[in-house]
Amino acid sequence: MKKAKSQAVACSLDSKNGIKQHHFDDATTNSSVDPFSMIEDHAETDVVDSDSARASSSGGFTANLARKKAIPPQPAKKLVIKLLKAKPTLPTNFEENTWAVLKSAISAIFLKQPDFCDLEKLYQAVNDLCLHKMGGNLYQRIEKECESHISATLQSLVGQSEDLVVFLSLVETTWQDFCDQLLMIRGIALYLDRTYVKQTTNVRSLWDMGLQLFRKHLSIASEVEHKTVFGLLKMIESERSFPDVNLSFSVICATVLGEAVDRTLLNHLLKMFTALGIYSESFEKPFLDCTSEFYAAEGVKYMQQSDVSDYLKHVEVRLHEEHDRCVLYLDASTRKPLLATAERQLLERHIAAILEKARGIFSLMNLFLPVHSAIFFRQVLTFATTGSRALSSYIRRTGQSIVTDEEKDKDMVFSLLEFKASLDAIWEDSFSKNEAFCNTIKEAFEHLINIRQNRPAELIAKFLDEKLRAGNKGTSEEELEGTLDKVLVLFRFIQGKDVFEAFYKKDLAKRLLLGKSASIDAEKSMISKLKTECGSQFTNKLEGMYWPTYPLMDVRLPHELNVYQDIFKEFYLSKYSGRRLMWQNSLGHCVLKAEFPKGKKELAVSLFQTVVLMLFNDAQKLSFQDIKDATCIEDKELRRTLQSLACGKVRVLQKNPKGREVDDNDSFMFNDVFTAPLYRIKVNAIQLKETVEENTSTTERVFQDRQYQVDAAIVRIMKTRKVLSHTLLITELFQQLKFPIKPSDLKKRIESLIDREYLERDRNNPQIYNYLA
Amino acid sequence: MPRTASKKGPANSSSSSAVDLFRSASGKAATKELERIDQLYYSYANNLSGMIDPEGIESLCSDLKVDHTDVRILMLAWKMQAEKQGYFTLEEWRKGLKALRADTIIKLKKALPELEKEVRRPSNYVEFYSYAFRYCLTEEKQKSIDIESICELLELVLGLQFRPQVDLFVQYLRTQIDYKVINMDQWMGFYRFCQEISFPDFSNYDAELAWPLILDNFVEWVRSKQT
Repeated sequence: MKKAKSQAVACSLDSKNGIKQHHFDDATTNSSVDPFSMIEDHAETDVVDSDSARASSSGGFTANLARKKAIPPQPAKKLVIKLLKAKPTLPTNFEENTWAVLKSAISAIFLKQPDFCDLEKLYQAVNDLCLHKMGGNLYQRIEKECESHISATLQSLVGQSEDLVVFLSLVETTWQDFCDQLLMIRGIALYLDRTYVKQTTNVRSLWDMGLQLFRKHLSIASEVEHKTVFGLLKMIESERSFPDVNLSFSVICATVLGEAVDRTLLNHLLKMFTALGIYSESFEKPFLDCTSEFYAAEGVKYMQQSDVSDYLKHVEVRLHEEHDRCVLYLDASTRKPLLATAERQLLERHIAAILEKARGIFSLMNLFLPVHSAIFFRQVLTFATTGSRALSSYIRRTGQSIVTDEEKDKDMVFSLLEFKASLDAIWEDSFSKNEAFCNTIKEAFEHLINIRQNRPAELIAKFLDEKLRAGNKGTSEEELEGTLDKVLVLFRFIQGKDVFEAFYKKDLAKRLLLGKSASIDAEKSMISKLKTECGSQFTNKLEGMYWPTYPLMDVRLPHELNVYQDIFKEFYLSKYSGRRLMWQNSLGHCVLKAEFPKGKKELAVSLFQTVVLMLFNDAQKLSFQDIKDATCIEDKELRRTLQSLACGKVRVLQKNPKGREVDDNDSFMFNDVFTAPLYRIKVNAIQLKETVEENTSTTERVFQDRQYQVDAAIVRIMKTRKVLSHTLLITELFQQLKFPIKPSDLKKRIESLIDREYLERDRNNPQIYNYLA
Repeated sequence: MPRTASKKGPANSSSSSAVDLFRSASGKAATKELERIDQLYYSYANNLSGMIDPEGIESLCSDLKVDHTDVRILMLAWKMQAEKQGYFTLEEWRKGLKALRADTIIKLKKALPELEKEVRRPSNYVEFYSYAFRYCLTEEKQKSIDIESICELLELVLGLQFRPQVDLFVQYLRTQIDYKVINMDQWMGFYRFCQEISFPDFSNYDAELAWPLILDNFVEWVRSKQT
């Protein structure tokens, strides 16, 4: 019966309490010491407090054992398992009491006082509270407790210490302590962290909570934060002001502050900022501003007082320094913006000035920049887009001043070539033929050379003319080739190539005609180069050679010459019918045999000179007017001719009165005291320089030609399209025409064609043109 | 009705056949009217040439009590589609007066205000405007008119409607040196200009469009004056 009862109770106990129990046999387990039997024993008497039971387990155990031993074996007792009447409840004020323990511990930690409760107990306390679902309250209480301490600590820093370094050390200490303390508290409340915090959303971990509190109160005690930042910046500034060459980790002396700039201090404090998540806002921003100001001032100062290579070296040192700064104590995220700021202030702002200072960058090379500086310089310029912009504007400005200086026109081409050469040298040597650099040069040149319409093209043609003429002694063939190639590069940049073409053709014709070419090979080479550049259309005419137009210079030829002229004319026209012979009197030359009292001479002279001299076959003395009437040579030309005969080195005539200029009332005489060392003498005609009129007429011809091209283009386009709007026509024209032209000029041509009834405006829409077949 | 040969006017063959044509084509009243028109014509026409010449026009004008430089004479010419400036042929005269239903001087005079109204109707005006230009081309193959004449013509033709524009443009024309003559395209362009472009600011003028170049220059000139 009992057995059954007890068994039944055991079963019911089992189901009620859910405690796993061993099913034991009453009879057999009398003497075994079973913890559960103890419970049974006590069941009738005490309410079991599991905690206290555990707490007092050790004591109770031995006590019972003792009692057990004292009592003699007795008949089997009835084992009665009774239900616990009441649920096990917590002791009253359990929470308050437990918290009190914890609170005092936290306090002690913060106040750095010894606490009498050991860690194990504290850990247990937390555990208990968590198990009894008091984690939330606990968390809040911990938070409140921490907050009050943190706030107190930070407030205590307000108004502390005037000395910045001392203050910073205080802050550092505070931070260190705080970290340690928080760590400890976190250790104690680990169970809380692992359970409640993890399971509840929107609840920070204890560590984060602590940090947040710190941050909050640091910003409340804003003076502290600002003072800290200020102190840090000051430290960095003083470090910058006295950079040492040997950048080592060791502490260096800044004489201004008289104290060592403690990098560890900086390091820790900056880590604090990072940990608090206020690094970029509170520190980095003002830091970069400070850096910017510092280097702005330094840049200006050093630029004024040092030369370019020293400046660049210094900049390099600075950039290294800033880089190290990031390694040593700044956060890695600051490196990029920091270097960018420094570069911008030290380099980008001064690039134009740097390049200017080194007069024609060419001389930069002569400054013997250390290799790594050159590379570094290049790197900076390549990466900094403002560098290439500054470079471009430098090239443009310098080039523009060369191109637009009208007084220095005759040197323009030479200066441009020189300039380009110097840039190319830099490009090759310092920049290892960097493509971006090359493009910058090209683009800048294209712009600057077209600023002044037409003149550069003309001057380039002239330059070539000079080079291709005979009399360039000392220029080897290779040198000439080299020069031609370089000039061609300039030619490529020009937009109005037809101007060049016009002048080149004229000069070429002259050269060939007068036999003044230095070398036919060089001429051919140039033409083939132009062919490659512009296509054969450009050079076809050159190769065919047409006759240039010269101002017709009339002259009355002496009878003898006329005879010969007629003979030739007859001959020529008999050979080629349908051609017209135009005598270019200004280009003819002769060899005269002259008999002077002091000896016979042969005079190589121009046609005009011949004509004038031959007059003296019949007269000893002639006035200017006489000569003019007899020869019918144009006034200016005649004066020039007489000058060459009477006022130059070789005076075959004498002028009366003497003087360089030929005036209306002058008279001329055969110089019978003429003498010269050589038999054959060349009397240089003061060369028929290209007159201003010739020049303008050439230019005008080009413009005239352009007009025809425009007209032809318009007609061509309209013929195809039949109907086209004004704007579209203009666009088409710009695409087709190879030379630069203004829209108003195009309008002029269109109107001219309307007038000539090639096109008409549409009746209904005046913006549209119709082709008139 | 028996056909009677006309006793009035010179009995040359062409005129009588023309008269016959008229007579046969219309009724009695109409015939009468035509007769009177012709009569009127011959009262001004030059006997030798058979046309009304400048002298004839002068006397016509004084009869009409209108100055010969008055725009209404030009309008009359337009109505007649007269080809040669200063001359009216019989055909032209007939055409014009018939259209105006005027066979006497008095009726002609009365018809003038009506004529003016008709011409000034926007649909007709552009035609009249272009006619005015052509009318002034006196020489064979002439395509443009000299600046001074243009100025006068502008005054005459556009002076009423677009006084300020005309004044300004005329001033420009007289000051500038690029153009010595104006052609039809430029002439018509100016009328369009007056109609479309806001004055005096020219704010909607776009030189990139197909306006004649002279107008681009004109606008630029005005703008430079304003600054």
